[in-house]
Amino acid sequence: MRRLAVAGLTAVVGWGCSSGTPRDTTRLTVGLRFDYPTPNELIGPPTLAYAAINDQMFLSLMEEQGDFREAPPAWAPGLAEDWEFSEDRLQLNVRLRTDARWSDGEPVTAADVRFTWLAQTDGDVAWGSAYVHEATVDVEVLDPHTVRFHFDAALPTALADVSTGAILPRHAWEPRPFAEWRGDPDWFFDSLVTSGPFRFESRTPGSDLVLGRNPGHFEADLPRLERVILRSTPDSTALTNRLLAGELDVATGIGAADASRIDGQPGLRLLAYTNRQFTFVVWNTTRPWFADAETRRALALAIDRQAIVDTIWHGYAKVGRSPVISGAWAHDPDLEPWPHDPQAARAALREAGWVDADGDGIVERGGRPFRFELATYTGAGARWDAMQMIQADLRTVGIDAQPRRAEPNALNQRLLEQDFDAAASAFAIDTGLDFRPLFHTESIGGFNYAGYSNPEADRLIESFATRADPLDGREDLHRLQRILRDDQPMLVLWEPVSLAAFNDELESVAPNAVSPLANLKEWAWR
Amino acid sequence: MIRLVLRRVAAAAILFLIVLTLTFAAVAGAPGDPLSPNDPRIPAEHAERLRALYGLDQPLPAQYLRWLGAVLLSWDWGQSYQTGRPVSDLLFESLPPTLLLAGGALFAQYLFGLGLGLIAASRPNSWLDLGVRAASLLVYALPTFWVGLMAVLIVGVGLGLAPTGGMTSAAAYELGPLAAALDVLAHLWLPALVLGLSMAGDIARYTRNSLIEFQTADAGRAARARGLSEARILLVHGLAHAAPRLLQMAAVSAPLLLSGAIVAEAVFVWPGLGSTTLQAIQAGDVPVVLAATAYGAALVIAASLAADLLLVRLDPRIQAE
Repeated sequence: MRRLAVAGLTAVVGWGCSSGTPRDTTRLTVGLRFDYPTPNELIGPPTLAYAAINDQMFLSLMEEQGDFREAPPAWAPGLAEDWEFSEDRLQLNVRLRTDARWSDGEPVTAADVRFTWLAQTDGDVAWGSAYVHEATVDVEVLDPHTVRFHFDAALPTALADVSTGAILPRHAWEPRPFAEWRGDPDWFFDSLVTSGPFRFESRTPGSDLVLGRNPGHFEADLPRLERVILRSTPDSTALTNRLLAGELDVATGIGAADASRIDGQPGLRLLAYTNRQFTFVVWNTTRPWFADAETRRALALAIDRQAIVDTIWHGYAKVGRSPVISGAWAHDPDLEPWPHDPQAARAALREAGWVDADGDGIVERGGRPFRFELATYTGAGARWDAMQMIQADLRTVGIDAQPRRAEPNALNQRLLEQDFDAAASAFAIDTGLDFRPLFHTESIGGFNYAGYSNPEADRLIESFATRADPLDGREDLHRLQRILRDDQPMLVLWEPVSLAAFNDELESVAPNAVSPLANLKEWAWR
Repeated sequence: MIRLVLRRVAAAAILFLIVLTLTFAAVAGAPGDPLSPNDPRIPAEHAERLRALYGLDQPLPAQYLRWLGAVLLSWDWGQSYQTGRPVSDLLFESLPPTLLLAGGALFAQYLFGLGLGLIAASRPNSWLDLGVRAASLLVYALPTFWVGLMAVLIVGVGLGLAPTGGMTSAAAYELGPLAAALDVLAHLWLPALVLGLSMAGDIARYTRNSLIEFQTADAGRAARARGLSEARILLVHGLAHAAPRLLQMAAVSAPLLLSGAIVAEAVFVWPGLGSTTLQAIQAGDVPVVLAATAYGAALVIAASLAADLLLVRLDPRIQAE
């Protein structure tokens, strides 16, 4: 009996031990921070990370390229072989590849493209990104491999708009009425055919998703891996542990605090790559403390953002200069960030009428002490840490900022209703660089949390948004950035980078701002 | 007896209803809109459309009655805002892993609790006894979260003796039934041990005291007079004497094990009720939070009811009352 118990224990522990068996070079295990609830992206979570997986199974018309440092994002052929605008840019003809097939052997056709547009714009489906089709009035099937998009306005973002979202399988999903899509996301796993380099093999909800090579994919030599296992691990520390224990070959979405545990580990490569986010403190300009730009500039001078980046991000971020992030083609390279200069901040505050008349260490104006609530979300660890540093910096110039945490939904509501003093939040930049939602006067009560209004800024935002060629609007955005720098409705704190770790023996790995798995089909073991 | 049981069951049902109502009031009445988009490009009408789809455009009392009716009549907990999946499916998938972990922890709790209690009782007031009592107190005092993290780092990452998290290996999809079971056990033993050990101290202390009491009681002396060995006195007669209370302690500790399992699940990436709840809270997924809280409450109420009924069964004086 005792022997049996010992043998059983040995078997169980032995099974869990990191074994020395040779690597299966046809297979890859990838750790992600989230689960994959449904293959139907119209009802799935609207995140880049989710799209990174979906892109492995479904084709879009065009593929957005990762870099937009020099110019607006380029579009490479995906399901679309080529495309052409009419002269007035109100029509777009798209010719599809003739060799693209669903994993059940059916061809991918123009009817699938039209079906996708119908689904994307259906009220019952309620796709979060349906706004991309605001200018699309029809999608016409010209022949089995040609579609024509009809627009009622010539927008510079037309290619991005028609390429947002994967093309869906009409023959497999049309039997399910749109009104029932949101009620049964699991149904799409049962009726799943894919057109991308990978096909669905199996899943364990909340844990694993297994993708296999799609033998019918038109790029005959791709993907190079036979199987990719995507493992959900929501917590960064747990993800790092799994990677270090050899349970994962790749880990994406690693937090900066865990990066040092991976950096320098033999056999692992830590890659930092740009993303499109920026974190900021927004000042509510309807509150008396933040009503004038001079005071807001003084706040920018008082806060040591470099120290925040060095302390909290361990170098895996850079000081923000502008909402047009430094990796964007329209970023103004001559734009200098406000330096950390407490002396200048004190002088600016005096100029703006803030003096410590009662000697309590807090400046006042019109009898009102400069004391306000600085809010952020519960669970936003880096922002909360930064707020402690901001509080200390502001205290040295006589300002009493009081950090508070709020439940995310509650704080979002308060931000929209401008029921806050100042708050730290983050946005991902729209690659179309449409800043109407953030800074235009008409967006007050929406995402223009600051309540910021400047007619010249409004004019520049509108001017850029209506240009047929965004490159012609570079100067509009440069001027906008200079205005925002001076007006300071928000102080951009930092631009984070994304971190992912890879087994050193993987080749052709090239994550980018669009996706950490951008070219997964080309990855292979050496 | 039947009337007593019915009375306790009715009280448990009323308590469950109160928990449901309070949870709904707390979660649904919280400020903020979970369906409000955090992407500036998404128009506000989108959130309104979703609110209508999920019935959130109705007044709160109407939402409550609709929700309660669906739960009580058809066990329909609504749809997850985050994944769109039926909440009952999500929880149906999460519950077995939590019960497995709690069951494994209960096993570890009694294995170590009884073992240490027996060791201590065999040498009362010796250094061994003192050591066991001190160790019991220590494991009771250490936070499960911290012990779990250390176990992952040392046993999992450092020594490679156990997986650092999850319930299955990456290659589990290609395993046969026996190998798959072994795979789950290999993932289970460390979190179950961590969770079980944190609660084994109570069992060890009670077992020790009960066995020492038995040894000096008439029954213990009679057993010794009959010439039985000390080992047999402790293992057979002593444990039989302690058994009713130990059984009741199992029922009482079940709620604690379940709440502890939630912490352990977070550390060990165990795909159970705790992980699901935690993610739902972080995502503001109200229907899942509501249902997970109700499931947790139901489990605790059921365990407490079982403990009550067990006590009634074991102690005739309560029946008489």
